[in-house]
Amino acid sequence: MPLVNFSNIDFDQIKVSIRDYLKANSNFTDYDFEGSNLSTIIDTLAYNTYISSYNANMVTNEVFIDSATLRENVVSLARNIGYVPRSRKAATATISFEVNVSEKNISTITLQPGIVATSSLLFGNQSYVFSVLEETKATVSPGGIAFFQNVPIYEGTFVKQSFTVSPRTPNQRFILTNTGIDTSLLKVIVKRDESSTVSRVFRQFDSLYQIDSKTPLYFLQEIENERYELLFGDGIFGMKLSEGALSYIETTYVVTSGELGNNISEFSFAGQLLDQNGAAITTGISVISTESASYGGSSIESVESVKKYSTQIYSAKNRAVTASDYEAIVPQIYPETESVSAYGGECLEPPAYGRVFISVKPHNGTHLSSSIKRSIANDLRRYSVAGIIPEIIDLKYLWIETDSNTYYNTNLSSGPDNVKSTVLSNVLTYSNSSQLNKFGGRFKYSKFQKVIDDSSEAVTSNITTVTMRRDLEAALGQFAEYEICFGNRFYIRNPGKPPVMDNMIIGYNIRSSGFKISGLSNTLYLGDVPNPDLKTGSLLFFKLNSPTEVVVVKKSVGTVDYIKGEVKLNATKFIQTTVNRGAPLIEISATPYSNDVIGLQDLYLQLDMNNVVVSMVDDRISSGNDNSGSNYLVKSSYVDNLIRGNPIYSS
Amino acid sequence: MPVQRVSQSFKDISATFQINPLNRDLIALNNSYAIARSIRNLIMTVPGDRPFNPVLGSQVTNLLFENLDKLTALTIKSEIVNTIENFEPRVRLNEVNVKSQPDQNQFDVKIQYYIVGIDVPLQELTFALEPTR
Repeated sequence: MPLVNFSNIDFDQIKVSIRDYLKANSNFTDYDFEGSNLSTIIDTLAYNTYISSYNANMVTNEVFIDSATLRENVVSLARNIGYVPRSRKAATATISFEVNVSEKNISTITLQPGIVATSSLLFGNQSYVFSVLEETKATVSPGGIAFFQNVPIYEGTFVKQSFTVSPRTPNQRFILTNTGIDTSLLKVIVKRDESSTVSRVFRQFDSLYQIDSKTPLYFLQEIENERYELLFGDGIFGMKLSEGALSYIETTYVVTSGELGNNISEFSFAGQLLDQNGAAITTGISVISTESASYGGSSIESVESVKKYSTQIYSAKNRAVTASDYEAIVPQIYPETESVSAYGGECLEPPAYGRVFISVKPHNGTHLSSSIKRSIANDLRRYSVAGIIPEIIDLKYLWIETDSNTYYNTNLSSGPDNVKSTVLSNVLTYSNSSQLNKFGGRFKYSKFQKVIDDSSEAVTSNITTVTMRRDLEAALGQFAEYEICFGNRFYIRNPGKPPVMDNMIIGYNIRSSGFKISGLSNTLYLGDVPNPDLKTGSLLFFKLNSPTEVVVVKKSVGTVDYIKGEVKLNATKFIQTTVNRGAPLIEISATPYSNDVIGLQDLYLQLDMNNVVVSMVDDRISSGNDNSGSNYLVKSSYVDNLIRGNPIYSS
Repeated sequence: MPVQRVSQSFKDISATFQINPLNRDLIALNNSYAIARSIRNLIMTVPGDRPFNPVLGSQVTNLLFENLDKLTALTIKSEIVNTIENFEPRVRLNEVNVKSQPDQNQFDVKIQYYIVGIDVPLQELTFALEPTR
């Protein structure tokens, strides 16, 4: 009887296979008894087979990028298709300070490259150092003060490392010894020898385009332990280094803590200042004023990201043709990208042919600045097909709000507040998960309910209502038309039997926060009236005289498409809104037709933790207080409010 | 269909791996000798020695480094009885004697047992246990 399963990695099954083999092919009979010598030999053989199978399994896994788990193997496989993973990125801050040298005869002050500031212990006992990469000069004013204005500083330690090219060293490698390098700040210069004053700057290339034998270049590749190796030209592609001519390589870079260095705004000076004669200046240095707190620090690209983007970049082949090509290339040219969505203008209504629309969610913050958007769009031109215009558009958030009535067994909990705290903590974890925070994300209702149910053994069930919200930024004091897309079908209450109020058929499927319009002093709200086809409807403004008295103020102020999830307001002049978060906002919300909400096209789905409500309800049946269920507390599964926020009555 | 045992005899390989000079084959242990070797193996195996079977064996090897007195002898006896009853289904124990010999720095062990299912007289296995590293 042959041993057939060569890849078995279960010890007991291997042992059974060997025993079966002995049963059929041996005179020895004691294989069944654990104490026998034969059993010891079988155990040894099985263990050896097990180890071999395990190793074979692991090695095979690491051969393919889909199944590899060790970073150096994933990176190595990605290298085969020309992909260099993103390095750590140093957080950048901008500072200003001045140096008073009025009593000395100094004309110019130079800030030396290296450490320039340390954080002021804002994060526990952890302090971070910030460095400048190049010399910064400031001229002393007639008053004896030198101003250093808007100096960019980078979180991390400034490091110099040099190599000497030696033909006597076969297979010489140029390895940057530190981990945590920000490769975007790496600078490589090559000189004849260490004492030479003439140097050439070598630039990093990632392809063979526009390269000849004289191009001063280097390639970068990640090697084991998150370190990097420099590869120089061979005289055919790129300038070759040789002893005597170009033999001394000097590199400078920053070893950074990545995202840990973000949001630091207080600094203490720790730099080195020299006057025009090279003498150190240690007095008269003012307190550092922070022009912008540190931002933009990020950790090294994760293994999962390398697996995802390396293949996408390879399929894009440095050409942006399909929408997914743009999604692959944008993180390369803007490393702070957390999530990106791209789609062709032909998908829009009305279509915008010849344009590609791209939304980018940065790691830090919610929106991109205009300059960064321009920069990304310009960089994309190098990849895009002629005649296609890439356009970076602002991120549009689709907020998910939930209201959960959570039933719990009072016998199994130490109090409703403890259970509620656990539930909220788990919901927060879910809200930060990758299921939501991406373009094309989906809010999965059943998963969300499971998160609540699994939070504590005391939780018996939950009734959760889901609302989706978008914020309309009102242009105060001017007539403007507005269009808000939710990308999800709206739920219509009482379809076919709309409630009748004030002699009108009113739906109130759209809810809004309060606002005031030109010509009316009352606080108004947005409502809707479904058309008989229950596919579209018209919008209206109403005011509240009391919780039950609704007065329609203005009809037909816009349209609503319940199927597409679109709200269009005719030209309206808003003069005030009750919600203001840096800008006057009108929050508009609706109940989705399906409790699973998707982030369509450029809509970025996020769970709004400020509007996640968890109410604890005593499950009297499970608690044993009301076994018959006669006094069971019933909670509605439907949203029934008319407006958002605290109502303002017009009396 | 699994292969069925066809013989009541027991045949084990010898751990000495010496060659039988008559047939140039590996020396085999048969019947009572195979069982006696199995019992000694079980007693001397420290739990955890066998891969993926952490309960097989006895604490006798560790107990040899305890005080060489009657109390330890009793504990060793208890370990031997438990081990044989748990892991050697071919025998039925008759008696186990463990005697401490402080002057020789050893325990003398005598185990008497019947072989289950085979009509053979009472078997006796004697050996000495010495602490060795």
